[in-house]
Amino acid sequence: MAVQTVHNSVQNSNPLQIWLRHHGETLLTYAAFAVMVLVIGIPFYYIFVSSITPSNELFQIPPSYWPSSPTFDNYARMSEAVPYFTYFRNSLIFAVGSSGVSVAASALAGYALARIKFPGSNIIFMALILSVALPQIAVLVPMFQTFQTFGLINTHHGLIVLMSSLVLPFTVMTLVSFIQQVPGEIEEAALIDGATTLQVLSRVVFPLIRPALMTMFIINFIISWNELLYPLVFAQRATTKTLSVGLMELTADSSTFTRPWDMMSAMSVTMMIPILLLILFGQRMIISGLARGAIK
Amino acid sequence: MATTSTATRPQPAARGFRLSFAQRRYLLAIALLMPVILLRLFTTVYPFIQTAYLSTQKYNPAFPPQKFVGLGNFERIAGDLVVQSSIEFTLIFVFVSTFFQIFIGLAVAHLLNAPFRLRGLARTLNLIPWAIPMVIAAIGFRWMFDDQFGMIPDILRRVFGVEARWLIDPYNARLAIVLVNIWKSTPFVALLLLAGMQGISHDLYEAARVDGATRWRMLRFITIPMLLPIITSVSMFMLVWQLAVFDLPYAMTGGGPGFATTVIAQKIYLEINALNFGFAAAIGIVLIAIVAIIGGIGLYIYRRVEVSQ
Repeated sequence: MAVQTVHNSVQNSNPLQIWLRHHGETLLTYAAFAVMVLVIGIPFYYIFVSSITPSNELFQIPPSYWPSSPTFDNYARMSEAVPYFTYFRNSLIFAVGSSGVSVAASALAGYALARIKFPGSNIIFMALILSVALPQIAVLVPMFQTFQTFGLINTHHGLIVLMSSLVLPFTVMTLVSFIQQVPGEIEEAALIDGATTLQVLSRVVFPLIRPALMTMFIINFIISWNELLYPLVFAQRATTKTLSVGLMELTADSSTFTRPWDMMSAMSVTMMIPILLLILFGQRMIISGLARGAIK
Repeated sequence: MATTSTATRPQPAARGFRLSFAQRRYLLAIALLMPVILLRLFTTVYPFIQTAYLSTQKYNPAFPPQKFVGLGNFERIAGDLVVQSSIEFTLIFVFVSTFFQIFIGLAVAHLLNAPFRLRGLARTLNLIPWAIPMVIAAIGFRWMFDDQFGMIPDILRRVFGVEARWLIDPYNARLAIVLVNIWKSTPFVALLLLAGMQGISHDLYEAARVDGATRWRMLRFITIPMLLPIITSVSMFMLVWQLAVFDLPYAMTGGGPGFATTVIAQKIYLEINALNFGFAAAIGIVLIAIVAIIGGIGLYIYRRVEVSQ
């Protein structure tokens, strides 16, 4: 390698080529990074610009890439076209409830699967993982009938039951792998000192895996916040509809000759803000939580 | 719960009925697992059995009575052009998307693993497409692809001189949906592959460097082979998971033009809205069968890859 380099540098003494040889890889890395920034960034830029462009300016040919007079008017009109703040509250209840229930249930199950040796624990774990493959929409009909029978349609708790169950397998899997990393001696010591299992869980295990619980809470919050199918089918009144359903309702708004892209963009921006905040503060946790599921 | 926690105390009070330590631990495990098991039974096993039953029924609540039709619904599926087209598009969607997600995902993971100053920023940026709602990606791109006012046709026209109608032409509409899906989910795949790359020992690369291996050969003979199990499992997961796609085509094209971008899930949704519950259940069973077949093949390949490592 070294010999080759010397040989090459004798051949090409052009300063640009020398510079490229030393920094070519870095240059390539930054070029790739720039492409990534553009590919990911442009759609967000365009959605944001559309949300602050007055609608008469938005629907013109060729399209404008920056408004001549930016305005928040689209946001105001959007929040009148649909009961925005009710939907926002519903989304929050739905996402917090689903992630709370799923993390609590998974923490208990995760402890059982990671710490207690009992016959059938592997089968339960495998069945749980395999059940992810069952498409939620394929079994929607009986789910809908059951919800009708028990009066669970248009209820927050009904939606939370469905959504938390959907994210359970991944949450359990991740928490099992977290708990297995925590040394078991502290729990044993606590048990010998006469603590009950519940005390061990609440005072030893859960505090130790608090970062993991937090991580799964954030990830499940994001997944629930983004969910469309369950609220679309099981929330039929404004009291339970979420923002994703509201966005679809806005699509059908016929106040303009085309779809109301101005209002839809405005609503999209507001719906992304909580997600972007979570990424800003919890990116490390999210990355480690998602990656852990993959390695297993 | 109370009994099991009492039972784990070191010296339980002598009673007539006592459980062995193993039995007590077993009961405790079951009690802790109960919420998860009940929730999963309620939302998967029970509705699955009901769906299998309903698929043999002609049942529309608006047009009673319900009656047994055996495989009648499946015969109808075999002759239904929309269902056939939805199966065809779903398979195209899933396989093309997964192929490019893995391919581009490897490149992105490589970038996110490279030592450069903005790496942290790149990793954060990579999370964003995964984390935003699919509906927003679908609607945002639907707007950007708009044949009249959209930015993508405008740029293609002005910069490359290409005239393309995206959402009116069935092939282009399918292409557009697959592109958006690749944009949305490649970052997630890249993240998982990155985790795999970080698990590869540096010694391997050191040894290769000493032997004078080029970057490309290291990628070809170390990174890819070492990542093969994770590439297989991620591919399998993406294939199976994306077979159930609903929100992207629903929010982006509504299944159109015609039925060109209708996926199986949306066909089920349409039948449910039309209250054809028996027929919808039968399509659901077909979807589950496709998932089982592809998942089974994937699992088989994964086992072989894992063994050969």
